[in-house]
This record gives sequence, structure tokens and C-alpha cells, in this order.
Amino acid sequence: MNMKQLFPRGHVMGFIFSMVLTAVALGVVVYELSFKTGMIVLLVTAFMQAGVQLVMFMHAGESEDKKAIYTNVYYALFIALVTIFGTLLTMIWGYQ
Amino acid sequence: MKIDNSLPLEYSTEENRLKILGFWIFLGAEIALFATLFATYFTLVDRTANGPVGGDIFEVTPVLIETILLLTSSFTIGLGINAMRHGSKNAMMIFFIITLALGAGFLGTEIYEFKHYVHIGAGLQVSAFTSILLTLLGTHGAHVTLGLFWGTFIVLQVKKRGLTPETTNKAFIYSLYWHFLDVVWIFIFSFVYLKGMM
Repeated sequence: MNMKQLFPRGHVMGFIFSMVLTAVALGVVVYELSFKTGMIVLLVTAFMQAGVQLVMFMHAGESEDKKAIYTNVYYALFIALVTIFGTLLTMIWGYQ
Repeated sequence: MKIDNSLPLEYSTEENRLKILGFWIFLGAEIALFATLFATYFTLVDRTANGPVGGDIFEVTPVLIETILLLTSSFTIGLGINAMRHGSKNAMMIFFIITLALGAGFLGTEIYEFKHYVHIGAGLQVSAFTSILLTLLGTHGAHVTLGLFWGTFIVLQVKKRGLTPETTNKAFIYSLYWHFLDVVWIFIFSFVYLKGMM
């Protein structure tokens, strides 16, 4: 195998991209950002990182089970968000 | 066993394809597991009793080392799977061994970090905050520990049996697990450490 086969462009780009996203996320502690701005930056970088892993490295869409896999991931994500924000709603934020 | 040669080896039989789908469903359950831990963390993060808050105990350097090690290991296992698909057993094994070494480096740093927390008075029983912090980090760390053993056995089996539909399938599923741990770490890095230090 030559270097080009050993280090395919997509993987290298994905890696560089994940490092850049980490550096951007680190910016929230380096620069004095408001809590709200910082959280928005973190949410964007974290979910983009997850996307890079899922599509670039985990090959989520390559087999004939693509639809089942994505449905499963979206469903799990839905459960995760309901669990987290539902907990915050009942335990921290409250409602009236 | 019907082998479809138009697909990568790890997908080449129906059983293999279904095992990969099954593992994705397992990862869905893992997402739910970590969601409950994150939910508990966000609930208890301010319940620090007389103990420290996150900003007092978190340090950028070890956390950044852990993040870079894990992100790089996720990259190298991706390269390992790529080499496997090119049929290069040696390149695949080298990338897997590098991945395991990086994973061990991550775990070593995390163990140091835990020791440090206990040392500075942020042990498991200090407050609700330290309990859930160490439970969340520890659950991830336990997954990494398991992954190191699992990966070692994968490497040994590939060395012994070569690249077959079975071994490639196992290696591919293991790579899914490893990438997943990296994703979980990204969320810990962002919403535990960086949020705590902000």
C-alpha cells in the first residue's frame, strides 16, 4: 500500500476538521464569552464533531441498512434529548 | 455461507451485515445510558455541598491531552479499517496497535486525573457533584478499559487467522465501538470540562 492508500484524503480531512473543532471549542475558556454564547459555540462544535465521526469514520450510510441505522441513531438521539431536557425541566427549570 | 465479493469482507455475508446492524442498535442503547448520566450531571452540577465546584478542580492540560489522544486514536482506527479493506493485514495491525497505545495513554491520564481529584478533596463521596462527575467519567473510562482488552483480542485473532469474513467483521464492529467512545468523550469534554471552566 502506498501513502495515498494508507492515509485517504477523507480520513485525513476528518481528523484535521475534528482538531480544528476542538480548538474552536477550547476558545470558550480562552476568550471571555458570555455563558449563552459559549454554550452555543459548544453545542455547534460538539454536534459537528459527532457528525464527523458518524459519517466519516463509522461509515453509517454505506450498507443497505443505511435507513435502519439512521432511524436508530435519530431515535436514540431523540431519547437522549428527551431524557436530558425532560430532567432539566422537572428538576431544575420548573414549570407553571 | 454465501459470500458477496462486491462488498467489503466485513459485510460479505448476511450474518455479518446483521451483526453490524445489531451493533448499531446496541450503540443506540449506549446513547440512552450516557444520556441518563448527562441528565443527572446537569441536575447535580451545582449541588457541591462543602466541596469544590467544577471550575476549582478542572485543569485544561490533562483534559486536552486526553482529548487529543482519543481523537487521534479514533483517526488511527479509521485508518486501520481502511487498510483492512485494502487487504493489508500488517498495516491494519499496526494501526490497531497504535490505536490501543493511544487508548492506554488516555486511560493513564484519566487515572492520574482521578488520583489527583481524590488527592485535592474531590473524591466520590464529597458531594452530589463529585459523585456524578466521577460516575460519568468513570463509566466512560470503564468503556475505554473494556475496549483496550477487546481490541487486544481482535489484534491477536487477526494475527492468528488473517483477514477473514469473521475477523474483519469483528474488527469493524470494534471500530464502531471505539468511534462511539470518542463521540461520548467529545460531549464530556464540551459540557463537563469546558462548560465547567467557562
